[in-house]
Amino acid sequence: MASLITCPHCGTRPKEEFSIRGAALKRPDPAASEKDWHAYVYLRENPKGRYQEYWHHAAGCRRWLIVERDNVTHDVFAVSDAAAVRGASE
Amino acid sequence: MTSYRLGSAGTVNRGQPLTFTFDGKSYKGFDGDTLASALLANDQMLMGRSFKYHRPRGPVTAGSSEPNALMTIGTGARAEPNVRATVAELYNGLTAVSQNRWPSLSTDIGAINGLLSPMLGAGFYYKTFMWPAALWEKLYEPVIRRAAGLGKLAMQADPDRYEKSWAHCDLLVIGSGPAGLMAALAAGRAGARVMLADEGFLLGGSLLSESASVGGVSALDFVKAAIEELASLPNVTLMPRTTVFGWYDDMVFGAVERVQKHVAVPSPDLPMERLWRIVAKRAILASGSEERPLVFGGNDKPGVMTASAMRTYANRYGVAAGGKVAVFTNGGSGYRTASDLIAAGVDVTTIIDARAQSADAVPEGVRMIRGGAVVDTKGRKRIDALIAERSGFQEEIACDALAMSGGWSPIVHLMCQRGAKPVWSDEAQAFLAPDVGSAFVAAGSAAGAQTISASLRDGAAKAAALARELGFAAYEMNIPEVEGEYDPAFAPVWYVPGAKGKAFVDLQNDVAVSDLGLAQREGFGHIEHTKRYTTAGMATDQGKLGNVNTIGIVAGMRGVSPAQIGTTTFRPFYTPVSFGALAGTSRGEHAAPTRTSPLHDWAKKNGATFVEAGLWHRSSWFARAGERTWRESVDREVQTVRSNAGLCDVSTLGKIEIFGTGAAEFLNRVYCNNFLKLPVGKARYGLMLREDGMILDDGTTSRLSENHYVMTTTTAYAGEVMAHLEFAAQTFWPELDVRFVSVTDQWAQMSLAGPKARTIMSRVVEDDISDAAFPYLGARAVTLRGGLKARLFRISFSGELAYELAVPSGYGEAVADAIMEAGRDEGICAYGVEALNVLRIEKGFVTHSEIDGRTTPDDLGFGRMMAMQKPDFIGKRQSSRFGLTAADRLQLVGLRPLEKLEEFSAGAHLLKEDATPAMANDQGWVSSVCQSPTLGHTIGLALMKSGRERYGETIVVWDGLRGGQVLAQVCPPVFVDPENRKLQG
Amino acid sequence: MSLTLYHRHVLEDYLAGFGEKANPNHIAVIRRPAIFSILAHRAHEAAVEDALKPVEGVHLRYCAPDEWLVVSTTLGAAVIENRLGEIAGASIVDQSDGRALLRIHGPNVRKILAKCVAVDLHADAFAIGTSANMLCCHVSVNLARTGADTFEIVVPRSFCGSLFEDVMEMGREFALTAAFADS
Repeated sequence: MASLITCPHCGTRPKEEFSIRGAALKRPDPAASEKDWHAYVYLRENPKGRYQEYWHHAAGCRRWLIVERDNVTHDVFAVSDAAAVRGASE
Repeated sequence: MTSYRLGSAGTVNRGQPLTFTFDGKSYKGFDGDTLASALLANDQMLMGRSFKYHRPRGPVTAGSSEPNALMTIGTGARAEPNVRATVAELYNGLTAVSQNRWPSLSTDIGAINGLLSPMLGAGFYYKTFMWPAALWEKLYEPVIRRAAGLGKLAMQADPDRYEKSWAHCDLLVIGSGPAGLMAALAAGRAGARVMLADEGFLLGGSLLSESASVGGVSALDFVKAAIEELASLPNVTLMPRTTVFGWYDDMVFGAVERVQKHVAVPSPDLPMERLWRIVAKRAILASGSEERPLVFGGNDKPGVMTASAMRTYANRYGVAAGGKVAVFTNGGSGYRTASDLIAAGVDVTTIIDARAQSADAVPEGVRMIRGGAVVDTKGRKRIDALIAERSGFQEEIACDALAMSGGWSPIVHLMCQRGAKPVWSDEAQAFLAPDVGSAFVAAGSAAGAQTISASLRDGAAKAAALARELGFAAYEMNIPEVEGEYDPAFAPVWYVPGAKGKAFVDLQNDVAVSDLGLAQREGFGHIEHTKRYTTAGMATDQGKLGNVNTIGIVAGMRGVSPAQIGTTTFRPFYTPVSFGALAGTSRGEHAAPTRTSPLHDWAKKNGATFVEAGLWHRSSWFARAGERTWRESVDREVQTVRSNAGLCDVSTLGKIEIFGTGAAEFLNRVYCNNFLKLPVGKARYGLMLREDGMILDDGTTSRLSENHYVMTTTTAYAGEVMAHLEFAAQTFWPELDVRFVSVTDQWAQMSLAGPKARTIMSRVVEDDISDAAFPYLGARAVTLRGGLKARLFRISFSGELAYELAVPSGYGEAVADAIMEAGRDEGICAYGVEALNVLRIEKGFVTHSEIDGRTTPDDLGFGRMMAMQKPDFIGKRQSSRFGLTAADRLQLVGLRPLEKLEEFSAGAHLLKEDATPAMANDQGWVSSVCQSPTLGHTIGLALMKSGRERYGETIVVWDGLRGGQVLAQVCPPVFVDPENRKLQG
Repeated sequence: MSLTLYHRHVLEDYLAGFGEKANPNHIAVIRRPAIFSILAHRAHEAAVEDALKPVEGVHLRYCAPDEWLVVSTTLGAAVIENRLGEIAGASIVDQSDGRALLRIHGPNVRKILAKCVAVDLHADAFAIGTSANMLCCHVSVNLARTGADTFEIVVPRSFCGSLFEDVMEMGREFALTAAFADS
């Protein structure tokens, strides 16, 4: 029927406004090892429980968000703007 | 026929009689009746036939858990099967028909199943219809479906409207009985936004059937005053006729409101039902409790119903369930029913209490049998006697209705729909609501409160606490005094042994105690297995009435506590919800939004036939007078473009405006080819890759000024590419100064293609567009004659000299008209996406038929575009993997049939001559095919193993799906103008 | 040869069937609004927002961090382009033809919009002056509250016909009407 995500920019919205891209992995450095690139492109932990995913607020602000949630209970622990997170870690 | 309508009492409006029919016979009822109460008032106790054995059945409840009294209500396309007569609101002209019987309700051939019932126990179908498997679809299933079943669908389109709506509140109160009303009052007075929903058509819940007085007035008057106050509060929304059917993530509740189910002639401006998605900060489950039937021989016959149901019919509807009533109980409820019936003037003969003693007051003049049980009932369409047993002695007692009470189960479904399991309480001898956190709590008898006064207190206190939590000032609630309430305490009796006939535990599915025993013996002991093996707890009532008894009986058979058996899984929906309500307005043409191009009306007036492309409606071809097939139109359009000129709507291409000092660097990283040195005023074809090295999309990007670009994407991938760019900019390189905005809708874009394109375009555009001034891949702002600002791109998807002109959307139609006018003498025509496709196949241009997520730039002949010297671009690292550079990869080739008249289709596979059709011999597959009017035969594009080395080879085009095979010659994938003379002319 | 080009509103045909009289619940379809996208560039975000606030004759609509729509029903696109063009660190894009502006008004407007959007439009949650991008009848729009009973929807042109039909359907219960308006 619905799940809700609270976008840091737009407020609480139904999941229909978002598209999910999967695990919020950091893109390796262009010069990183073959192994790191292979893991980034092909390998996923796919955990049951708490993890971080990229969600795109496609019908709202069109920002990429990092949603940390439990995929069993759908408890959402944190929603943050991906650019802020990635920008800060540079 | 006797009238069972009592002299007074109840909420029915005796001043407003209603006429309705049941199985073709006309009856009278009153406003405020349910269909079941009105039928009972007319001595129509027989209301249905059971699912499997076709046993005669009457109503066993007065509410939404009803397993028996299922009917088809309405006629024609509005006929709705499996409506519970116990909750169907009576209206004038209502037409009801009984189900699962032939030829009639009272004489049903299918009842022979009842005689065969010893053979038809649990698992009968699994064991009997084992083989041959082929007969399942053809024979067994159709026969079984015909014999066993519920009502039949109308098989006509639903004529009614349905809607969906969102709602938001601080507190959702589910149920409007004593706890729900007090909860709504407490939170409402405190100022919270409250929604009070109840499945009933009158708010008040169990208080509507209550003989006790509340706050010094009758329960009914208490309800009226409370509702009046709630209705006067602007922050309170009352929602009668609204079933909250599901609890979903993040405190979203699903509810369905029956807006017009009770109306003889529905208004076309109102929905029949409305689906609500209620976002609640807090919620209170005040759904009350369900009275459990007792399980004894003959407990399913018409006339046997729960004690509370019989009370409801008497007190609320003023209807006696019988003229001579007996009671079989294990607690206070049976006694209360006896005294309420006597007060209403009904003859109560006997109370049979399973307990040896109790403190319940026995009404005067009623015979009392303590420590006894009912072991059988007599009669067919209504019972006429019961067999009571005490201390081994049996006795026949005449009665025409039997009230049974097996204790109470809190209704906790909603709280268990997200994984939490109800918790068995030895003290309450019932499953109680689980703790699901502080946002959603149960109150009143749903929380195990036993009396009305306890429910009133509980509802008020819990709502006040939630309101305080949300920051609303506390409101001191006076709890009204209740006079004349009874103690519903009971001692559990799971079933009465020694039944001669079947003792049913699930009435809807005809599951008897013996079936549960069989399931245990045959190894289906887990309660989820027992459910599926016996069907206990399935179908429309989902075991609301029978499940707890099932669990209790299975526990008894295995010698454990019901806590160890546990419950089956609770899932939405609490009661059945129509597909109409779930679909809402999203049906037919409105199943999804549609997108129309700014040139849609231009295309329409030029005779376009439209085709759906995603959400878009694109012009497919433009038929002219005398053209009999789409092929004739498309051939003419293609030939006109190749010889003169054609105008095609390409507004649906994605258009993205890109700004910033980092834009050039950004484009250089998202495209696999070079973009850093693209000059201002130029367009460039680009390929975007996915990180795994496969092509994501292609398109052109033009540099309009130093830090300003406009990108075009394919129609299909416009949204995908936009999201891809945003992802790259925001998560890969947030340090780059680059901003995007979609301008797809701002520009009407049209492609003018053909040898006469320049002549025609220069009649419309003021600027010099000679080849010297505006060469191939030019891109710049222009001014149309008359002053309109536009953008012009010299790009081609046909291989002809071509321009794409973009004008503000509102002017699109006018500009297209002007171009058609300017080109009339040159023989211009409008062309659609079919001709566009033929033109691009002839020229060997690719689309997503070739860019299918499995192809690399090199596969499609773009290998030299890859700028591997760039330090980074998306897809670079995986592009050098062995698998992506292997020599036997599928490569783009052209195909032409050896025999000119032979045809083949896209999707066909390629085989070497004389090779057996098998995956091991597969040489590739055909991606695009058209009839080329330019060449006069079928041509195709294909992806073929090492294809570029195999030009000239003869190959078999094998079509396993449609049948047939054709010999074709492999050739370069460009059939027209391979030297690009026309393109650059 | 000089071209005289007519301008066509996307709802031209849709509104042809409506009478003159506006009911209490009504959609005014603004015929030629000026609508611009404003994008603030890195390091200019705050300055751009400050520069936008005092611009007269326009309404600012929030879309996303550092992205707004500027809407005007009184000024022409050329005037706005001039006024906005002076703001340093901002990119502006004319969307006047790419978006339609629907102003929906009336005593039942919240009940109608509750069937269209999932966002809580109670005055405590969505006050006058608030605006945001959201799904409305499955279409991504910008919704703004401009009065107690007045909201404005900015919708992409290609979706406008489909969205308009859906909103009208949701308003059927309350006799919603619609007509063009100049401002």
